[in-house]
Amino acid sequence: MSRYIARRVVASLAIIYIVISLSFFIVRLMPGNAVSALESQLSVQGMTTQQIDAQVNAIYAVTPKAPLWRQYFTYIGHVLEGKLGRSIINQSETVLHIIANALPWTIFIVGTSLIISFVIGIAIGSALAALQHTRAAKAVSFVVSVLSSIPNYLVAIVLLYLLADIHPIFPTGAAYSVNVTVGFNIAFIGSVIVHGVLPIAAYVITSFGVWALGMKGSAVSVLGSEYVRAAESRGLSRRRLTQTYVGRNSMLPQVTTLALSVGFMFGGSIFIETYFSYPGIGYQLDQAINSRDYSVMMGCFILITVAVVVSNFLVDLLYPLVDPRIASPGGARSVADRRAEGTKAMPVGGSTA
Amino acid sequence: MRDLVSRLGAFWKDLWRLSKNDKGAMVGGAVVALYCVVAVIGPYVAHLSRVTNPADAYLPPSLAHPLGTGPLGQDILSELVVGTRPIMEVGILAALMTVSVGVVIGLVSGYLGGFADSVLMRVTDVFLTIPGLALVIVIASLVRTSSPVVLAAILSVTAWAGLARAVRSQALSLRESDFVEAARQQGLPLRNMVGRQLLPNVGPYVAIHFLLDVTGAIYAEVGLFVLGVVPISGTNWGIMIYLAMGQGALFTTKSMLYLFSPMVAIVILQVAFVFFTRVLDALFNPRLRVQ
Repeated sequence: MSRYIARRVVASLAIIYIVISLSFFIVRLMPGNAVSALESQLSVQGMTTQQIDAQVNAIYAVTPKAPLWRQYFTYIGHVLEGKLGRSIINQSETVLHIIANALPWTIFIVGTSLIISFVIGIAIGSALAALQHTRAAKAVSFVVSVLSSIPNYLVAIVLLYLLADIHPIFPTGAAYSVNVTVGFNIAFIGSVIVHGVLPIAAYVITSFGVWALGMKGSAVSVLGSEYVRAAESRGLSRRRLTQTYVGRNSMLPQVTTLALSVGFMFGGSIFIETYFSYPGIGYQLDQAINSRDYSVMMGCFILITVAVVVSNFLVDLLYPLVDPRIASPGGARSVADRRAEGTKAMPVGGSTA
Repeated sequence: MRDLVSRLGAFWKDLWRLSKNDKGAMVGGAVVALYCVVAVIGPYVAHLSRVTNPADAYLPPSLAHPLGTGPLGQDILSELVVGTRPIMEVGILAALMTVSVGVVIGLVSGYLGGFADSVLMRVTDVFLTIPGLALVIVIASLVRTSSPVVLAAILSVTAWAGLARAVRSQALSLRESDFVEAARQQGLPLRNMVGRQLLPNVGPYVAIHFLLDVTGAIYAEVGLFVLGVVPISGTNWGIMIYLAMGQGALFTTKSMLYLFSPMVAIVILQVAFVFFTRVLDALFNPRLRVQ
């Protein structure tokens, strides 16, 4: 078990390191890159070379004149210390501060949506498997597969149009209304919930189907397996049969899909938060892209990746609890293999694109 | 050659027989085919008027404008038809790139095994973990291109990883089979081993993945246009939604058709693709047919 955890920790850290390097090369080396753009902009403003270097260093955490390898290591060091530089647009704000303000909102929306759609999806999927050949089950499967093939940003736009603009039932944006005091009080919590309804609904409508269909598929195949028939003929109670034998085994692939979909939903937050002007990471990333604020942009990208890596790690820790076989020697790598099999279950853009 | 023709014939017969049992899949296949036809002939059939006429803005549906007109008095249906090609083109190109990279890496990694396999799979794991959509949006916003090939390459930058993993695990089991052993005894080069021996055996799985990759690429591509990350050139469904929202379509019921028509076009296509993969699934995986 400890070996399994150690492997997962090393793999997670390696990916975070690679993403930080990637962001260095994107900011520093891409054609028309951010650093040289800022340099020329500052020299037009009549700054001296030293001033320019200091300014570039403050904003991007790189020293442009140093050799490339030294710039690279300085950058990595800065990022690990949490120095992600400053926003270009608002130079008094550090990127870290912007991200720290935005992250809780994204975690709130993505986390709540994930839990709601997982629970609904598993319930519907089990029901579909139990009532396999009825007409109602076929109709529900049809609706579910249609819903899960609709891009989530289109649902967001439709919800915004119908329930916020044309019929102003829900607010059109922000995370809470301006006339409540931030803190632990009923008015604030109520306002947060009302503002969260539409973004969460946009996620849930488009993602519960993935679990419903996945659960249905695996439950149907588990139902047909020999050991279930054997357990049935031993006269085990209906409850024991459905929970321990069928339920637990058909949950396995869904838990792997969970890890995949965290990344997918964090990526999707760029769309959802932008349309609902919801001040999370995705919204900040979109703002940064529109104003070409590269340091905020790369900070958000690094953070989204770290969030995905951390949640993947949590799922990997959770996995041995659901399936004790995985933590046995030699089993550690098969999580990744199962995950790859799970990609088929994500209909729209499951590629992670 | 004759062998190939008869095999293709058998394939179509099977496809037809299975489609008859699964109406949803049949309709899905027909819709995908229809979209392909529209993508090919669209620009020759429909014409976008160069002259804008604000007096004609937001006309209700009529014979001359079956879906009404947009904010500049342009015919929505023609814009929709002309906009099909860029979307399908990039979607299919991206899926082709995704599938080729994924299959080659998966097969080579699974077949070679050992050190090469470890290295390739570690790289694959990285791409599997990085949130693809976020990376695609960041790269697209830096590159700022509207060339279909570059756009497709950006869209497939992480998408291949899942397929590579899945194909690798199939190649691992194929490696142990007798025919691969026989081919290895003959000392065939790697290119032949991968291309002629292993590839045909993962073909069906790859075909299904290809269709789902098209839907994934279209999701991300339209998303890029709707966000306004990609520079606007010509017209397509994503640009239509972006312009509609920019011109305040969200605040007036008049513009409902202009905003919703491209959305409906996208949703129908995505749903059709997903339903169409179902019949391929049944065709290639006979165990499913029994149920």
